[in-house]
Amino acid sequence: MLPIKEILDADVVIAGGGIGGLMAAVAAARAGASTVVLEKAHTKRSGSGAGGNDHFACYIPEVHGDLATAREAILGSLVGGDQDRDVLDASLMRSREVVDMWHSWGINMKPRGDWLFEGHAFPGRPRAFLKYDGSNQKKVLTAQALRAGAVIVNHSPVLELLPVPGGMGGVLALDTSEEKPSFRIVRAKAVILATGNPCRLFVSANTPGLMFNIGVCPACTGESIAQFWRVGGALVGMDRGYRHAGPRYSSRCGKATWLGVYRYPDGSPIGPFTTVPSRETSDITGDIWNSSFSDLMVNGTGPAIMDCGGASEDDLKHMLWAMGCEGLTGFLAQMKQEGVDPGRHGVVFGQYEPHGIRGIEINPETGTNLPGVYAVGDHVGNFRTNIGGAAVFGLISGEQAASYAAGASPCQDVENSPWARERMAYYSTFAGRSSGATWQECNHAIQQILTDFAAPGPHKVRSASLLKSGLKFIGDMRRRVDAELCTPTAHELMRASETLAIMDMGEIMIRCALERKESRGNMQRSDYPFTNPMLNGQFIRIVNGENGPEISWRPIHR
Amino acid sequence: MPPVISPDKCLRCGLCADICPLEVFGCRPAKNEMPTVRYPDECWHCNVCALDCPAGAITLRHPISHMILHVDSPFLKNSGQGGPHAAD
Repeated sequence: MLPIKEILDADVVIAGGGIGGLMAAVAAARAGASTVVLEKAHTKRSGSGAGGNDHFACYIPEVHGDLATAREAILGSLVGGDQDRDVLDASLMRSREVVDMWHSWGINMKPRGDWLFEGHAFPGRPRAFLKYDGSNQKKVLTAQALRAGAVIVNHSPVLELLPVPGGMGGVLALDTSEEKPSFRIVRAKAVILATGNPCRLFVSANTPGLMFNIGVCPACTGESIAQFWRVGGALVGMDRGYRHAGPRYSSRCGKATWLGVYRYPDGSPIGPFTTVPSRETSDITGDIWNSSFSDLMVNGTGPAIMDCGGASEDDLKHMLWAMGCEGLTGFLAQMKQEGVDPGRHGVVFGQYEPHGIRGIEINPETGTNLPGVYAVGDHVGNFRTNIGGAAVFGLISGEQAASYAAGASPCQDVENSPWARERMAYYSTFAGRSSGATWQECNHAIQQILTDFAAPGPHKVRSASLLKSGLKFIGDMRRRVDAELCTPTAHELMRASETLAIMDMGEIMIRCALERKESRGNMQRSDYPFTNPMLNGQFIRIVNGENGPEISWRPIHR
Repeated sequence: MPPVISPDKCLRCGLCADICPLEVFGCRPAKNEMPTVRYPDECWHCNVCALDCPAGAITLRHPISHMILHVDSPFLKNSGQGGPHAAD
């Protein structure tokens, strides 16, 4: 058995030090709770917001008037309508407060002097994405969490939740600060899950052999979803998968920052919304005809080209500045090195692999079906506004968890619970082998199976035959992984634990996809090629019950 | 080998290894040792190592597999402003 390096006691433990996790830490610590953040890498520079972001979904009353205007702008944008309105509204109601908070801390929410809403927008319609300069966001939020009194433990990814009868007892984590792996236990009365988007489920669309060339941070594998599931947590929307788009072959999300027009190679626009570059709206075609990039390759009229030619010098300068705010400094350097001038060149765009299958079901206070467990950020299943939502619900979850912890009893001995011992023994097995399968083999294997048998479209179909075959092959793979996986270092054990979570999520996705006996959006069933109106406005909900997975449908809250 | 560290400029502070979101340098090196790129396939090219290096000792090398496919702007080409390759 690997050693336990450290046992910490806290009221609230937070899994993941991204935007949501750090905001939760600020709020929980300010509310008087002893708070520990466990972060896989380093909170100053981790996750998809490591270098920055520049779109913050929010409701600013003096811009939008009533809340419904902001709400409708979000529901009509790429983040889409499949979210609970009560949860979305709860986020929007406090978004102005968080925007002001961030601005006062030194994250520039008015980098152009006043409120500026740009990107992911239709010409002439209300907009919900505030342009901001997030290039320092992780450092600022880290400093604020520490100032509030939270303890941040870097290089310590959470492996499992440790429930106790009637509540939560803490978490089991890994320590990767040294070559040799060891465990860390945090005993806590409340847990906030904030591990971000699930990625690395499907083969990289840009570079199939290189699984880390993907649009969002490849270290974000949404492990909380799998950990929550293992102890009975309820998930929603898990059959979905969003496919972002961006430059080929250097994967990076952020297409709304590009202000050009999507064009065919002959110069004609792909969509009807704009014919000239626009920094205010960008070309919404990429959001609402998301499959266009793939469609043009399949029908032979492609490739789709992001063409900023004709933009003013001022607008081009603005775009390059915004890319810096968004954390695309690596991509900017690459363009320079490769002689790509966005004012003179069109850049080929393509769809990326699916990511961000949905996840944990929360209520408007970020609570879940498990007492003492809260969830925020991109791995939430019934709500999505990306950075803005993570920040606001981070704040709310910290307040809620602190309040819950104040009334809960401490758990003295959670590290000796049967579940904790079982899971520590499980992970120790891989670390104890001197030879065997690498985590990369296992990750490639699950990616291959999911890409072949369960991928969302376009130009891919699911069917009972394919999905059931996929489930069978995942089962076969699991047996080999358990028998052969070998992780000589702490780093490799971390990647392996991510891969094990991906396997769980892949299996859950297939089970939910089997339940959807219709075609909807990019989820195309060859055996049910129609959209069933009876399933409009419904989420698939799945819980790991005592007798196995329990699947049901429930209405999306309107 | 995406991040390239200049041995002449590197201060051996280990900051890059500490803050890399993907831990491509592995664990923080021992004091006075230069970090090495231990897991190059796991680089996301986010550039934060280069941004935060106090000595400006790190540059990113972008693999050929990640090259940015680009063409002369179709709009400029059609409007006769396409530059030297406009006739291609």
